[in-house]
Amino acid sequence: MRMKLDRRTFLAGSSALAILPYIGFARAADRTNPIIALDADIGNLDPGNRVGTTEGNIIRSVCQTLVRFEPGKTSWTNDAAKEIKQISDTEFDFELNPGQMFTGGFGEMTADDVKYSFDRYINGDKSGKKLAYADDMEALKSVEVTGKYTGKLILKHPSAALWLIGICDASGAILSKKAVEQLGDKIATTLIGSGPMVLKEWRPKEQFVLAANPDYKGPYKAHFEEITGKIIPEHKTSFLSYQAKELDFTAFDADQLDTAKGLPDTKVIDIPGIDYTWIGINVEKGDLADIKVRQAIRWAIDVDAIIQGAYSGATSRAKTLLAPGLLGNWADAPLYTRDVAKAQALLAETGKTGLTFTFTCLNDATSLAVAQIAQANLAEVGITLTINAMDSGAYWALGADDASKDLELTLIPYTSKFDPSFQTQWFLASQIGLWNWQRWNSPEFDKLHQEGLETLDKAKREAIYINMQKLLDESASCIWITHGRNFFVDAAWLKPMFLPNGKDWQFEFFDKA
Amino acid sequence: MSGLVATLKRICSERDGRLGLAFTCLILVFALVGPLVSPDPNAIDIKARFAPPGVMHLLGTDNLGRDLMARTSVGTRYALTLAVMIVVISSVIGSLIGIVAGIAGGWVDRAVTAVFDIVNAFPPLILAFALIALYGKGSATFVLLVTVVFIPQFGRMARARAQTLRTLSFIEAERMLAVHPVTIVVRHYLPNVAGPIIVLASMNLPVVIAFEASLSFLGFGVQPPKSSLGTLIKDGFISINQSWWPTVAAALVLAIATLGATLLGEALRRVIDPKSAGVR
Repeated sequence: MRMKLDRRTFLAGSSALAILPYIGFARAADRTNPIIALDADIGNLDPGNRVGTTEGNIIRSVCQTLVRFEPGKTSWTNDAAKEIKQISDTEFDFELNPGQMFTGGFGEMTADDVKYSFDRYINGDKSGKKLAYADDMEALKSVEVTGKYTGKLILKHPSAALWLIGICDASGAILSKKAVEQLGDKIATTLIGSGPMVLKEWRPKEQFVLAANPDYKGPYKAHFEEITGKIIPEHKTSFLSYQAKELDFTAFDADQLDTAKGLPDTKVIDIPGIDYTWIGINVEKGDLADIKVRQAIRWAIDVDAIIQGAYSGATSRAKTLLAPGLLGNWADAPLYTRDVAKAQALLAETGKTGLTFTFTCLNDATSLAVAQIAQANLAEVGITLTINAMDSGAYWALGADDASKDLELTLIPYTSKFDPSFQTQWFLASQIGLWNWQRWNSPEFDKLHQEGLETLDKAKREAIYINMQKLLDESASCIWITHGRNFFVDAAWLKPMFLPNGKDWQFEFFDKA
Repeated sequence: MSGLVATLKRICSERDGRLGLAFTCLILVFALVGPLVSPDPNAIDIKARFAPPGVMHLLGTDNLGRDLMARTSVGTRYALTLAVMIVVISSVIGSLIGIVAGIAGGWVDRAVTAVFDIVNAFPPLILAFALIALYGKGSATFVLLVTVVFIPQFGRMARARAQTLRTLSFIEAERMLAVHPVTIVVRHYLPNVAGPIIVLASMNLPVVIAFEASLSFLGFGVQPPKSSLGTLIKDGFISINQSWWPTVAAALVLAIATLGATLLGEALRRVIDPKSAGVR
């Protein structure tokens, strides 16, 4: 077939091309259900073995917990529970609402399901293997079933953290005993809940769709029929997609702040972070086992330059694990300002030369910028860094099966919760091979962590967590970079909702503005 | 020497040839001289990040304050070096394999052709991902990968020529006179195969340059802090809201390099192999 290009065809074609961009705008304006971006794909939907915030956020919206965080707050109200009664510091009675149905035909939620869900944290999975998030429920001794809908939570010791990071959060998700037993290993990819939403679709590395659960009986019905989550690991890319009206909500990097502020029909959300990004040093690995080498690296790396270069100066520098504002923040923690002479002197003391290490990080622009600054800094003191940038799936898989044992220096971004014990748990000896990528083993730190869990007095807890951070500092296994700052853009018609850390999104409370 | 001058004269006698030669020379000068007159391409200067083009930094700076003139010229040098290296290695290996297959015929020919078909069956990017998964990222993997991809192209051309030559009477005569096969290959096959192989090599140069840039853009090529045109375009694209010049500078160099090599290759084909020049 031959196509003849005359003036009329040309004009018609040009007109069609001219209105093409506006079709995109029209589609965006017509959307009634939001499309949002997430920087990490679903890794494991088992609440006790979840990988990151993506699964945590999905699990909280798909599953019910005894009590649920209120919109945007760390206070909570009853969800699956009709009533929770405190009998003593270590004993709580609960009663479930009747008629709460699990999706997929797995029946009604009973106290047996609560016991089964929580026992997994106490006894491990079906093969007895400890769940990755078992420490969220560390204080829980047992769950006793006293009736179809009633039971008791028995604690080992009084715990300030159990409710905040355990029961209310994704770890507290109540699963169907029948479903878990039937699904077996598929629990990692299939989520059966009774909460406000259902996981309607998941196309790995592409998108997932959460839909409102019509059978949800609790007080927090989802506002949208569907929320589509696109997996876009790179914030710069998702920000461009947002500008093209393909998305209604996304996080973006600090260096795009001015651009974001100038976008039409857009709200910019800026939340100071409580997370922690640091360079973890594997204390078991070769020359890094020498504390002087680790101290030299700490003196050699210019964290201030990293803040300016990789984060555009839009976030402040961290000097310890717990962010300002959190219980246990060590305000007087030492600040290691770059000192090449000290670094070289320490290396000279070790007598080691020609040191070469691998720096592992995510392959996003910010992480790569951090890696390259560290690489340049260390080159000045004679240490050669090879950068190993990994996609998020491969990177976070390092948290399983001792895959982290060969890491050397690693840029690690972890999210925080509101109780310091959540942050400190990843540095325990029991986390070596899982999420303690420094492989630092301090019995004293472990003992203090336990004390922190069992102590209710705020001042005493504060002192405990400061002491723990001092031990971390002495180990020179962590170079703290930043607690982050969370920037989001969202379409003016959408009202997203998240907990005050900016990372725990509450899909069930996303609403029209 | 006079042959080279004559070839250059014939290339310059047409417009596309002149343009291709000019672009190629420009890129060569940029790649050779650029790094000599620029600062350290990996030197970070956070205070100078995203500096616009100026006297201190002719092409501006990137997100870490590194001089883009230095990084672009080093990236160009790297791309050209790799391209030439790959094309030379794959053309030599491919020609030898192709000539052997063409002369031997029978099962040797069928086996070589089957291997070429298998290699060609994989889309280059898929093959690239597989080899990178096996051998890791880096220049050595890249050279291995692209060499493997290009060997069949050269091999097929050499094989076809060798098959034609094998039946010619002067080759038959030398064989009857018990002239050593290697001598026959060196004396007759190689000179006859060389022309089309040189043309094919010149046509493949821009393909390798673009392929290297593509892989680096996707994060599978050059690893930081080294620069390549692909990583420069990607890094620039990510920061396009802050500065447009890193992307434009790298993309322009890539465009000139590939266009120049393509035009020069086409012109070379018309000069060396006029019979195939009309075939598109």
